[in-house]
Amino acid sequence: MRSWADLDELQTFLDGGGIIEPNDDIPDAYRQEVFRFIEFHANSELMGGLTERDWIPRAPGLRLKQVFLAKTQDEIGHAHLLYMVAADMACKTRDEMLTDLFSGRTRFHNVFHYQAVTWADQIAIAYLVDAAAFASQRAVFAECSYGPYKRVLKRIIAEEGFHMRHGEEMLLRIAEGTPTQRAMFQAALDRWWWPSIQLFGPDSPPNDPLLAWHIKSERNEVLRHAYVQKYVPLLQGYGFDIPDPDLRFDEGSGQWQPGTIDWEPLKATMRNGGPDSRRRIDGAARNHEDTAWVRAALEQAGARLARAAA
Amino acid sequence: MTATPGTTTPRATVDDIRRAVAQVHDPEYPGVSIVDLGLLEAVRVDEAGHAEVDLIPTFSGCPALHMIAGDVEVAAAAVPGVAEVTVTWLTEGVWSPDRLTASARTTLAQDFTVVLRRRDGTLLCPVCGSVAVVDTSGFGPTRCRSLAWCPDCRNPVEVLR
Repeated sequence: MRSWADLDELQTFLDGGGIIEPNDDIPDAYRQEVFRFIEFHANSELMGGLTERDWIPRAPGLRLKQVFLAKTQDEIGHAHLLYMVAADMACKTRDEMLTDLFSGRTRFHNVFHYQAVTWADQIAIAYLVDAAAFASQRAVFAECSYGPYKRVLKRIIAEEGFHMRHGEEMLLRIAEGTPTQRAMFQAALDRWWWPSIQLFGPDSPPNDPLLAWHIKSERNEVLRHAYVQKYVPLLQGYGFDIPDPDLRFDEGSGQWQPGTIDWEPLKATMRNGGPDSRRRIDGAARNHEDTAWVRAALEQAGARLARAAA
Repeated sequence: MTATPGTTTPRATVDDIRRAVAQVHDPEYPGVSIVDLGLLEAVRVDEAGHAEVDLIPTFSGCPALHMIAGDVEVAAAAVPGVAEVTVTWLTEGVWSPDRLTASARTTLAQDFTVVLRRRDGTLLCPVCGSVAVVDTSGFGPTRCRSLAWCPDCRNPVEVLR
């Protein structure tokens, strides 16, 4: 078991690329901060998976149903892995994390506080939101100092890369569709552009402990700016309009500059007071209650097998 | 690409096509060739440059089948002398983790913390080498994986099944 005399010593270890493992004597400040971050990520995967699930019956065609089934399983599986890592940190049990989530005491990603109105919303989510989440997860993976989280992230990122390819396929298909289909996507883009931008969060504070402790490797504003540079020309290339009247291309820097970002909608989602927060959280809680018998049955079967093996 | 009779278009061999297909990676395991995962069953090519590639799916409901077939088609079509490609997912024959090459096993374990069950039923932790790994859930993020936990180094482990 490794230990560090104080936070300065820990900082030197982390700045040198050191990786913390669960059996180390982990300073409480680090443990709390990293736990909260992983819990937020786990909650987001679970809420995201439930959103994907809602669209399985409505996905057009067998192949897309298969894709949405798989994405649902991926996200729930990611949540599963992340809750395992988080619960091991001994700040809260898995049940406590779920109870807190379902009673609205903890947070999850802003993008899951909005309703997906049409199939085009699902395409916008797969193309835009998944890409934003992918960019921020990759930046966490890059320097992640907590070993078990870094290992899980590696797999999550591989799978999110696969989701993004599905998103690109779906976008291409609707972009080449009828005027009605294109109008549907434009309407969805109008709804999802800003939440995708806001997902990166406001500018990182100067002394962000997540940056100092090598959980995040990049400041929020840098990731957000790179995202805008990539997705503005792509969407415009498909002939769609970015719903930002103040967006302009700065000839001097060769960069796209978005208009002023309103952070109030993000703050509302972080209080679980977004447009669809109540319905999402209640739905997740109900889902958990409705499936209690499955978990009980699995536990009983597991116990029976264990007895038989003993 | 079209092969014109009488010109000097080279004949594509089965080995050329196999090598091209081996460049296709599993969409969920970047860096792992689908050939090393044991998905490639057979390759045939005739004099007209019509290549046939037979693949075996890990699970018939695998959502990556369409994407993998598309990637294989592009890779095989790029081989000089190949005029046409037919990719078929076989419905007979069963994929099992035994079909993985040693290199795929190593990459999955080291890079993705994904292991295979050993002959005696136990699991070897890819992080610390412990044999105390316990199964925790039959439901992992994909159809082809279940979840386990190493109580020694305290890392989640996934099992390819």
